[in-house]
Parts: sequence; structure tokens; C-alpha cells
Amino acid sequence: MSGAPQLAATPLMDRLIARTVRKRLPLSVHFDLTYRCNERCVHCYLDHEDHGELSTAECVDALEQLAKAGTLFLTFSGGEIFLRKDLEELLATARRLHFDVSLKTNALLVTPGRAEMLWRHGVRRVQISVYSSDAAIHDAITKVPGSLARSIAAIPLLRQRGIQVKLACPLMKQNLMAYRGVLALAESLGVPYILDMTITPMMDGNDAPLDHRVSVDALLPVLQDSTLQSCGTKVAPEDGFATAFFGSAVSSGIENSAYEDLPCSAGHNSCYLSPYGEVYACVQLPMPAGNIRMQSFRQIWEGAAALERIRNVRESQLPLCSKCEIRSYCERCPGLAWMEGGDLLGAYERACALAEQKARLTGVTSPVSAWHKSVSVASGNPDRENKPAHQERPTVN
Amino acid sequence: MMVAANGIWQKNPALAWREIENETVIISPAESVMHELNDTGSLLWRSIDGRRSAEDLAALLAEQYEVSARVALADTLELLDELSRRRLLITIESAPVEDAA
Repeated sequence: MSGAPQLAATPLMDRLIARTVRKRLPLSVHFDLTYRCNERCVHCYLDHEDHGELSTAECVDALEQLAKAGTLFLTFSGGEIFLRKDLEELLATARRLHFDVSLKTNALLVTPGRAEMLWRHGVRRVQISVYSSDAAIHDAITKVPGSLARSIAAIPLLRQRGIQVKLACPLMKQNLMAYRGVLALAESLGVPYILDMTITPMMDGNDAPLDHRVSVDALLPVLQDSTLQSCGTKVAPEDGFATAFFGSAVSSGIENSAYEDLPCSAGHNSCYLSPYGEVYACVQLPMPAGNIRMQSFRQIWEGAAALERIRNVRESQLPLCSKCEIRSYCERCPGLAWMEGGDLLGAYERACALAEQKARLTGVTSPVSAWHKSVSVASGNPDRENKPAHQERPTVN
Repeated sequence: MMVAANGIWQKNPALAWREIENETVIISPAESVMHELNDTGSLLWRSIDGRRSAEDLAALLAEQYEVSARVALADTLELLDELSRRRLLITIESAPVEDAA
């Protein structure tokens, strides 16, 4: 006998992550069921037209494939998931296949009956986007009058059913200082929150959403706010589930130090599935790996060149960033490096500027990222006026 | 609490779980607590179906591993007890006790 049957020791999440990374198992999958939405948020990176969503049968088949491949953490998101008329059927399928299910929603369509339905199908967590506690600000971002009141009204309905609720607040020009109200709202409701400073180009490369992005200098009051304590992540040691103050509202949710020299979970033990069947390493790294309408998920996960390219990235081997003196202040995202700088291995302006700002706040004198140093040397301009332009969205054949 | 050898269990239907490389990760949604079973625990978990008793499960364990029936039953009862304490299992009934007379 190889050992008495028992419940293994903690820390379980670290072990699970290490094991699934080593075995390349897709532990966590973010599945956008639709890009259609009942809000029109000014900063949104999605095209809300339906260009041929997966049918119910295709979604069920995808879920069955994911369960077989080893996925445990499943996030249904969109667009607005409640616009899928088959949402309950898909949740029932997810329950039958024993996924741990989280949802991302604006919650406008949550009713007592739908909250009960979510509970009945075992949904564990719901993340709701809230941009401000001030309806004028929130509703101006969503372009739906009354949307804040409806989103907030959903929270007690979900919590009464024992479903965990988390508020996600992307920060942009329109709501930068409104985060304090969201923080107070979250505390008054007794729910966690996440502040997301990431505003990305649209998935088709259109960079219109970047008009709403706050400059790094303007972010200073947020970065200095002692009530936010740190830019790190607080982990509850008893269960390994993280509570983040800052982070990405679209992330896999399994960020963890167990990734060591890997940039993040993308492609290693997590991936993204679009409403059209496309598989990406991450929604923020929309480099096409394949389509489940053409190949099985396993074929894509195990054989796609795009995923292999992402898996080969090691933080310690990044040409410039690995030599950066302020690397420890940087939250470089490989997806944003690709979308904004055109190079999966490269540096990009936003990450470098943020790292410099954070380093400065902790007392580092005149911090300069390795990339900014190289740009200054190349241009002979110590003021770094010659910042690279945002490039056309890269593609891979 | 010690479970009965002739008890019948089923998995708590509220749970999420996945067997990954012969180990099983289980999550209780209500508490967001993660549990993990080793390979032998996973064999038992996989076999808990609302019909098998602890004795049936122990017999499966003894079939698959080099272990005596007595030790297999003791290990099985211990695991079922712990899983029940953690509310990962629900006792649905006890198999009828044969009349000793």
C-alpha cells in the first residue's frame, strides 16, 4: 500500500499550482460566454456584436473537454453572462462536471430567482464591476442610467444565498478618485474588492480605450494611499485564496509565488476561451492558439505553437527586464508587453513608468528602468522624450 | 464520531472537485476551503457513489493495494470519518444489519 488514505497537508494551493504547472494542466479557465453586453462601458476592450457565439451544445462539449483536461477553477464571464439564455443550462453542466465556478458580471439582471439559481448550481463567487459609489460617475461610465443602483441591489441577493461577492473597480480618468467610495462601499457591505489600473486596447488592436487610461503621474495619490496598505496581495493562509487590493480584474485569480521564474499562470496552468471558441493563454494575451471548433481543446493545449512560445518565457531571461535595477517594483504583464510594446519578451512604457513611480515612493533616488536607460542611451536624450509609439497589434502565423 | 462499517455515503453535492494526477482536490464552496486526497484517498473518493458501504470500499482498496482486509477497513473508516467531519460526505443510510439470531 502506498500510504493510508488521508487529507494531505497544507499549503495546498502552492502544491496544486506547482503540480499543474509542472504537468501543464489547465487548472483555471476563463470562459467568456458572450461579448454581448447590456452596458456600454467607455473603457471596454470588447466588440459587443455577436459574430457567431458557441452554441449551447458547443459550450457543453467545451466544458466536458475542460473537465477531462483537468480544469477545476472555471470563470464564466463576458460581455454580460446573463444575456446568454442558456446560462442556467451551462451552470448545471458545470455543476455536473464538478467545476469550482466563479462569475464576472455587472449584475444588472440578478433577481432573487436568479440568485437562487446560481446558488442551486453551486456558484461560489461572483465578481461585480463597480466604478464608483456615486451613481453619476458609475452610470456615466456604463452609459446605463440606474446601473449602479441595480448592481448594488444584487449584492445582498447573492450574499443571502451564501455566494461570495467581490467588487472589481477598474480605475480610469472618469473615476480615479472614486475608488475611495468603492472601498467604503465594499467595507460597508463586508465584501472584498480589487482595484485594477489596467486599461487595455480592444482585442482587435483598436487603442481607443487607452484614451481613458490614467497617466502614471496622476495615479500617484492612489499609489500613496496608506489605506490600501500595499500593492501586493494578501493571502489567507488557511485556505490559500488570495485577497488582492490591486490586481487585474480579468486575471485567472490564481496568481501565486509558486510560479517562481514564470511571468504568470497564462499558458502554464490557465487559459482563456472566447465565445467563438478561440483559445488564448489569457484574455490579456490574445495570441490565437487555436479554435475548439476546428480542433479538440487537448490538441490546442498540448500542441499550439503560440502556447509553447508563451511557455518558454522566463523572467530571468527577459533581454532587458531581467537586468532592470527596479525589477522588484514592476508588475510587467507579458500580454500587455505584447499588445502595447509588440514584444512578448520586451518592456513597455506603462510598466516601466509605474515601476519607477513605485520605486520613487519607497525612497529610491531617481529610479530608471533598464528599458528607459536603453532608450536614453540610444537617443542620446536623457529626458526620454523618444518613447515608442503604440504599435499595430502583433500577429502570429 | 466514528462511522459504521455498513454505513452508506454519498459526496456532498455542493462540492467542486477534480482528480489531478491521482490526487483529488476538493473545494467546499460555502467555506472556500480546499482539501486534498492522496492516491488511495482518491480511489475511495472515486468509488463513493451512494451505494457502496465502507466494507465495499475497503474491499476495493484491498484489491488495488497490498494491504490486509483488516487494515484496509480501518483506513477506510478513518478516512470516511474525517471526510464526514469536514462535511464532504453525507451519510445517506446504513445497510441493513443482519439478524444475529
